[in-house]
Amino acid sequence: MSFEYHEPTSIADAVALGARFGEAGRFLAGGTDLIIQMRRGRVAPRHVLSLHRVTGLDRIEVDGAVRLGALVTHRAIEQCPHFQGPLGALVEGAEVIGGHQIRNVATVGGNIVNASPAADVVPVLLALNATVTCLGPDGERTLPLGGFLSGPGQTARRPGELLTSIRFDRLPPRSATAFLKAGRRKAMEIAVVCVAVRLTLDAARERCQEARIALGAVAPTTMRAGAAERALEGQPLTDEILRRAGRLAAGECAPIDDVRASARYRRLLVETLVPRALRRCLDRIGRAA
Amino acid sequence: MSRLALSLRINGVTHDVLTEPHRTLLDVLRDDLGLTGTKENCLEAECGVCTILLDGRAVNSCILLAAQCQGREIVTIEGLARAGVFVPLQQAFVDHGAVQCGYCIPGMILAAQAYLDECPEPTDDGIREALAGNLCRCTGYQKITDAVTAAARGLARARTTQ
Amino acid sequence: MSIETRVVGKSLPRLDAAGKVTGTAVYAADFALPGMLHGKILRSREPHARLVRIDAGRALALPGVRAVITATDVLDVRYGGGLKDETVFARDRVRYVGQPVAAVAATTREAAEAALAAIDVVYEPLPAVLDLEAALAPGAPLIHEAWQTYTAIPILHREGNVCQRARIVVGDMERGFAEADRVFEHEFRTAMVHQGYTEPRAAVAAWDSAGQVTVWSNTQLPFEIQNTLAEILALPPSKIRVIVPGIGGGFGGKLRVGVEHFAALLARRTGRPVKVVTTSEEELTAAYPRQGTRVELKTGVTRDGRITAKEGRIWFDTGAFAGSGPGVASVATLVLAGPYRIPNLLLEGYAVYTNKTNCGSFRAPSGPQSNFAVESQMDMIADALGLDPLDFRLKNIVREGDEGPTGQVLEAVGLEECLRRAADAIGWRDRRPAPGRGKGLACGWWTTTGGSSGVYVKINPDGSVAMNTGAAEIGTAALTGAAQVLAEELGVDLADISVVSADTFATPFDFGAQGSRTAFAVGNACRAAVADLRRQLFGLAAAQLGVDAEALTLRDKAVVADGKRIALAELARLSQASGGGLIAHGTFIAPPTPYDAKRVEAHVYPAFHSPSFHAHAVDLSVDRETGEVTVHRYVVAQDVGFAMNPRYIEGQIEGGVAQGLGQALSEEIVYENGRVLNPNLTDYKMPTSLDLPRVESILVEHPSLVGPYGAKGVGEPPNIEPPAAVANAVAAATGVRITTLPITAEKIALALRGEGPA
Repeated sequence: MSFEYHEPTSIADAVALGARFGEAGRFLAGGTDLIIQMRRGRVAPRHVLSLHRVTGLDRIEVDGAVRLGALVTHRAIEQCPHFQGPLGALVEGAEVIGGHQIRNVATVGGNIVNASPAADVVPVLLALNATVTCLGPDGERTLPLGGFLSGPGQTARRPGELLTSIRFDRLPPRSATAFLKAGRRKAMEIAVVCVAVRLTLDAARERCQEARIALGAVAPTTMRAGAAERALEGQPLTDEILRRAGRLAAGECAPIDDVRASARYRRLLVETLVPRALRRCLDRIGRAA
Repeated sequence: MSRLALSLRINGVTHDVLTEPHRTLLDVLRDDLGLTGTKENCLEAECGVCTILLDGRAVNSCILLAAQCQGREIVTIEGLARAGVFVPLQQAFVDHGAVQCGYCIPGMILAAQAYLDECPEPTDDGIREALAGNLCRCTGYQKITDAVTAAARGLARARTTQ
Repeated sequence: MSIETRVVGKSLPRLDAAGKVTGTAVYAADFALPGMLHGKILRSREPHARLVRIDAGRALALPGVRAVITATDVLDVRYGGGLKDETVFARDRVRYVGQPVAAVAATTREAAEAALAAIDVVYEPLPAVLDLEAALAPGAPLIHEAWQTYTAIPILHREGNVCQRARIVVGDMERGFAEADRVFEHEFRTAMVHQGYTEPRAAVAAWDSAGQVTVWSNTQLPFEIQNTLAEILALPPSKIRVIVPGIGGGFGGKLRVGVEHFAALLARRTGRPVKVVTTSEEELTAAYPRQGTRVELKTGVTRDGRITAKEGRIWFDTGAFAGSGPGVASVATLVLAGPYRIPNLLLEGYAVYTNKTNCGSFRAPSGPQSNFAVESQMDMIADALGLDPLDFRLKNIVREGDEGPTGQVLEAVGLEECLRRAADAIGWRDRRPAPGRGKGLACGWWTTTGGSSGVYVKINPDGSVAMNTGAAEIGTAALTGAAQVLAEELGVDLADISVVSADTFATPFDFGAQGSRTAFAVGNACRAAVADLRRQLFGLAAAQLGVDAEALTLRDKAVVADGKRIALAELARLSQASGGGLIAHGTFIAPPTPYDAKRVEAHVYPAFHSPSFHAHAVDLSVDRETGEVTVHRYVVAQDVGFAMNPRYIEGQIEGGVAQGLGQALSEEIVYENGRVLNPNLTDYKMPTSLDLPRVESILVEHPSLVGPYGAKGVGEPPNIEPPAAVANAVAAATGVRITTLPITAEKIALALRGEGPA
């Protein structure tokens, strides 16, 4: 590891430095991924731009929509009172990342830019139809999160561009979210599979008005299970329908065999966890009523 | 290689160090300042033996650049006991047999300290959750959990008698 | 038995606690010397290859690099335990991914790492032997073509890739199986697992102008390291001083030379102190992990549940060098017998070379693998016969005065009490309390390893006592336990004792912190020292007090008789003025355990000394869809003989169960084509605080005849039974029997769906 270290103190400074160094520079947030990758020799930036003095990127703003600054830590998400209700999947996703030490520094922006297919909070944000905003030399642009993620470790972020915030709408009434993760241990795990679900019922609370299902660790990027979503929308959410959504999701994902699990088992987990997460949403909507 | 002149506030004392940008706080603590109470093992934030407090929060010093720590308050295990008097967690770890080989213990105590500062009336599950980032291979965590519980009770009693 | 004691038997805090909670305790990984260089090891990237060329030219030209050494820079010496097959560096051939090829010393760790990357090595790959089956296949390539030329203890039975085959033969197998109503045959497998100590292996070496080298290392066996370094460096041991600062866990993984020789060789080459510390990747690819195994068991049983015969074989995948393999394969046969009365036995343990890392010893070496098979099969047989697994065990367990498998007479057998108390505590008669929930039992026996220990005990002029031992404190509090014995016998408090340990020049010999022996053997050596001190003290006191030495006793830090009293401190001062001070050399060697030599072949460990007995019980739930296991309760009833310090014995039990549950449920070093797929702590899955249940320890005390106050070895046993107990509970909870370790959620879920492993 050999590099020059920079400490921008404003977003404008950070973007200017990012533009100056382009591919040779890397923004450093919590460091829970970048420092490890650098030590393993997988990346070797000539310039490291630490963001910890940049103000204004660590705020959670909630009005009609929710806006997360890119430097919001997982611990801050866990402890945010706005996420205790229907948006609870954010907490569920955040609180299973590493230990407290990791969550105290690891940021939501870092989690997205790192673009691990096994990221925990990313499926929740994908299920929430989140958009991401990047600021670069050519100005600001906002993209849907799904389009932003393009492959393992790959995003649509341009060299020098800084991810500044993530935005999603608050949920309509009769909505809930849920997040489930499977790993070999009960903590400190990279997901073998993770599932995030958002569900909104119709006014009569009988049928599914809208469903979003996002899956982690079963494709090159965090993915939406579109066929499963379509199978739910407009339907009464019987156990059989939920299970069918699970089977459809298992069918449309594309897991691999690796040291953590076989593709076969990952599909089985998707098939199991999708209906479970949906049921959890139904319970939550029922309880909130 | 370029070097950075850093002024680091550690355990209430300011240390001026000259170091390369890539060096972590862990490197500087152990190699430059002789503060070897902060331990080194996996270097990938998986084991927690390098845990320190940064502005009151538990973090892994193995993935924290020393340069990132300027102007921030760092506490290591050496900064807890004052004039040889243990803080309640240290005493509880001794009294409850929570220490075996001891290599994880500095990080464990600091993670527990940060947790108790945030949550003074912890449950068993809460303690275990707070310590999940600190691997211990000797104890099975049971006496560690008991020690943290006892320390929390002791602190609570101290607060009510004040 | 109830003994009135003041110190021993009490849950007193350990002597080294203060340094460990304040960060002032210095571990080997913390140790540093002025001017010290940093050493790094270049390791083979091929599982099996001819080493064509090593070119260090580029590396030596890099800034900060002070030396690069390879096989040509060291003596062509083969070293090892019972079988000397290991070399410092690969010479013409590499035999596993991770085998040392070269070592570098540089001014910083980064410079040393850069130098490793700049050493050019040309390999010519050879066909690799990737598993037990390949190694044992007819015509398999030999891992060591010259195996016959290696020095080995003569008792070993070796042939090609098999570097040891130990055997126990008892009775008449044909008749035994003929007497059985049912014969059960099963196969089991276990994965390679790592000790997982939190402190990496570390050593600092420095040479002085007299040609003497001092090595500060976190070894469990300083005297063993001294001798091994003597072989490697071709020096008399008297030129090699090994000192153990603190050790951050060992669990058997720090028995053998790992980094000490590299530090010593690089320090000699550079004339500077050199420190070598392993990385996590090195730990998981090139340390001394527990061997993966295959086990076959064939057991004959009568209809009413009496075992008539057992034939068992266990193959240890010991890697490219024997390591602990030959000993482990031998010990395994005693575990395969189980703590059961079985009149006819044929048990074999094989250690087999493959192109993997050199395996070693891990807490109760061979115990968990063998016990997993034996105790899983006990439940499988009980189920098949419609017997309760507890009743089936009680019908067959050994009892007081029975013979062990090799004819040793068993004494102080607390097994029935352990089984009954563990079963009661877990609520055994309600084995399946809810759907997906089940309870499992397993029991076993284990040895208290022998070997000799010496201590010097000195009484200081302030009345405090210095205990000087060659044993290292690896975390178990064994030396606190020994100090409790010392304090008890001398009539002083534990706080009066200070410990100096593990320095091959300054401390008396000790066989080392291994095999559950430290508190047992050092404690007994302390008793011997006190017997000597008593003579010295009473001689002095008798003269001072004017009483007969026969009438004197030790009490409250003084020698007392008939209302007269003289403090130890005063006697120590008197001795200093007249007789060179009060000091005694206490020694202990466990007496040999008689056995029937006709029953064993090529066996290096034919009997268990002062054996301990234990039973584990677990209550867990299985998610029938995901296969996820949640352990609710865990009970251990262990016959410890006498609990020298109950709290730290509980600590041994809780920690041993933690490691055992890791092996049971989550841990494995995964090889594919000779390469480790998970060489980091992200994917080597040791249990976190959220993965482990509370463990309820029941200390059963059937005093041994040899141990201090009747104590038995306690450190290793808790690690033995967890895999079997978990397998049995999973079977009770789900109806699915998993016969391979680890018992992952994936295996359970796929088995529940009627699918085998992918």
